[in-house]
Amino acid sequence: MASATIGRRNVKFAFLLPALIYLMLMAILPLVWTLTLSFTKWHANIMPKPEWVGLDNFKYFLFQDLRFWHALGFTSMYVGISVTGELVLGLILATLLSQKFRGKNFFRVIYLIPMACPPIAVAFLWRMMLHPDIGIINTMLTSIGLNGVKWTTSANVAPFTIIMVDIWEWTPFMFLALLAALQSLPTELYQAAAVDGANSWKMFIHITLPLIAPVIVTISLIRVIDAFKLFELVFGITGAGPGSSTESLSFYVYIVGMKWFKLGRGSAASWLFLIILLIFAITLISRFKKQRT
Amino acid sequence: MRKHFWLITLFIVLTLLFTTSIVFAGTKPAEEKPTVMEKAEEMPAEKAPEVDLTVPITVLVTDPHIQVVDTWKPIWEAQTGGKIEVVLVPYATLEEKMWLEFRTKTGSFDIACVPVTWLGEVFGGGHAENLEPYMEKYGYPGWDDVMPGVQRITKWMGKVMALPYDGDNHLTYYRKDALEVPKYQAQFKEKYGYMYQIPPANWSEVRDIAEFFNKWDWDNDGEIEYGVAFIAQQNSQAMWSFMDVCAQYTTIAGTPSNYTSNIFFDTETMEPLCKSPGWVEAMTRIQELTEFAPPGLLGYGYSELRQAFVSGNSAIAFDWGDIGIQEQKPVEYGSKVKGLLGYGPLPGAKKYFDRKTNKWVEKQHTVNFLNFGGWVWIIPKAAPHKDAAYKFGVYMTNPEHSLLDVCGIHGYTGANPWRWSHFKTPSAWVRGGWGEESVKGYLKAISDILQDPNAVPDLLIPGTPEYYTGAGSSLDVHLNAVLSGKISPQEGCERIYKDWVRITEEKGFEQQKAFYRGSLGLK
Repeated sequence: MASATIGRRNVKFAFLLPALIYLMLMAILPLVWTLTLSFTKWHANIMPKPEWVGLDNFKYFLFQDLRFWHALGFTSMYVGISVTGELVLGLILATLLSQKFRGKNFFRVIYLIPMACPPIAVAFLWRMMLHPDIGIINTMLTSIGLNGVKWTTSANVAPFTIIMVDIWEWTPFMFLALLAALQSLPTELYQAAAVDGANSWKMFIHITLPLIAPVIVTISLIRVIDAFKLFELVFGITGAGPGSSTESLSFYVYIVGMKWFKLGRGSAASWLFLIILLIFAITLISRFKKQRT
Repeated sequence: MRKHFWLITLFIVLTLLFTTSIVFAGTKPAEEKPTVMEKAEEMPAEKAPEVDLTVPITVLVTDPHIQVVDTWKPIWEAQTGGKIEVVLVPYATLEEKMWLEFRTKTGSFDIACVPVTWLGEVFGGGHAENLEPYMEKYGYPGWDDVMPGVQRITKWMGKVMALPYDGDNHLTYYRKDALEVPKYQAQFKEKYGYMYQIPPANWSEVRDIAEFFNKWDWDNDGEIEYGVAFIAQQNSQAMWSFMDVCAQYTTIAGTPSNYTSNIFFDTETMEPLCKSPGWVEAMTRIQELTEFAPPGLLGYGYSELRQAFVSGNSAIAFDWGDIGIQEQKPVEYGSKVKGLLGYGPLPGAKKYFDRKTNKWVEKQHTVNFLNFGGWVWIIPKAAPHKDAAYKFGVYMTNPEHSLLDVCGIHGYTGANPWRWSHFKTPSAWVRGGWGEESVKGYLKAISDILQDPNAVPDLLIPGTPEYYTGAGSSLDVHLNAVLSGKISPQEGCERIYKDWVRITEEKGFEQQKAFYRGSLGLK
């Protein structure tokens, strides 16, 4: 009997083993590898092997490197504004397109196109359209007598250009998820509210929003995590400039680690990035759980 | 739950140990033992085996230079039965691709076209082949025909490590239909109280000319034109635009020494000169010029600048020789300025800061600066077909072929004249689409700079890319912040200074000092 139990347990582990090995090779090993590297100095184009430096890399980013903090600041601002904008616009579009009118399927498809485009293609498309000298948008503005805007070449405007393009690209994601949520709501509640004399706005505030709140939190979280990894738009539109006004955290990590092969520092920056994201995600989820209970 | 906790902990600890052992196992330096191939390369010429040219040769190249490879590839393949495979990457990712190969040694390419400014670490790190054994074995056609300045950039510690391909320095380009129009000249004189020289003699004149010709339709084509254009895009080559100005205010021409033809570091103390009044003045000047430039200036990399200038949007531009080539090609590059451009050396300055006396010296002078240095071909240590790659490199850069690549016959190749013979064959240039007068002026402007024995060499020491554009450290980033008005010129210079001090310390103070002094020809 005992040997049969051990045999069954072995079979269970035998089935789990391939997945565990895969997980170790593809997820755990790289994580542990970069964690180990983050305690070393390894300027890979001049040093044959890493040197142990303890916490120096973390201290450097946290206490000496203003550019790291600037990148974090820009990324946080970008995430806050773009995700909020996408959520609001997505909710408006979903509410409008959940109504009955002719041709709504056409609009639903049209609104999904930006999300389907590869981000780097989106970046280059907008880079050309927003070109301060020859871009179609400034050409249109000047043709109606307005001044052209330095979309990508002004340190004050460029951060908002990146945000604008991100909103254009990712509002459809919010719209799609919220539309599905809206269409799954029970109609009885609205009928009862109508009998009680509630107007559309009150129904939206007191019925619709509370019911779709879990969806809003989920998709916001997904977008926040995704937006924190901002890279392609910066790479393709502004190259992180002017100055470092549009330098995102992941772009900075890429430059440190991949462009200049400071693998120790790059790994430390990656881990700091991961920790910041985790703190943010855990805080958001736990707050949501508290509200639910 | 407790059992699972210990299992997970054990799993993580084992993984950690495994990873740490891999990380610290280290890699054996590549240069420890000569390989069989290296031994073969040292064989005397008569014993050397014939090269098998039918092997596939992988070429790593960036955008303008692809034109050269594409031109010679089909002919080479037809003549040898070999195969040329091209890995084309944008300039922004070329360095990353190159270093990935040097670290992994996978033999992903046989020969690469790279900028000289990166070569301190490439050669110093032993990542590229010493080409002298190949030159002995297979020869190199017309080595004496290569200009001395260009020969110099192919060498490291006295040995030829790269094949020459390009002679590089910035020129002044100006629109003759703006600066040479008597009516405009009279208006300018009335406004500013003096008459500028053609080409402009100093950056003060450039500033006034740029302001005068900014934002109006001076060529009567129905479009607004601007005063001045130069490369200003971040993560591109903007720092060389700045160094054009910086060289004039920071030093004076002379045999390179601590106080003459020296713009980067004090040769005695290795202290960066970035905080010197000369640098701050240059930073102020270039920031001022952005006011008289097209609105998209900070997005101008080399491609954008060239396209914009030959489409006629500015009165003056500063660039390598490539604008001249694109000027000649209305169909291919949309040039609207064929025959309308004049060429000259870089503008000088009315004063320079003399560090010896710690005073400004009021004196009109010009310093020639060898920006960038040029592109060269290197063969990585791990290249699978080194001999064939060398032969292909020679094939592209021999006197006859290279002439066709630089003179415009093959269009815009990113290669500018670098052999004496390139300057002595104007007929080829005329076949490349040039007017006879134009080509005279163009070649004179380039050769005057390349032949100047006192020209300031570019920064060619280990870490140059980091001093210029490095992560968290660069001239490039702080310059861009100044150009966009985010920080003042003074603050920009102070930030660069701090970064450069840190980089020098990280690289090793004494080593950097020795390399820097060596790059100026000082003992």
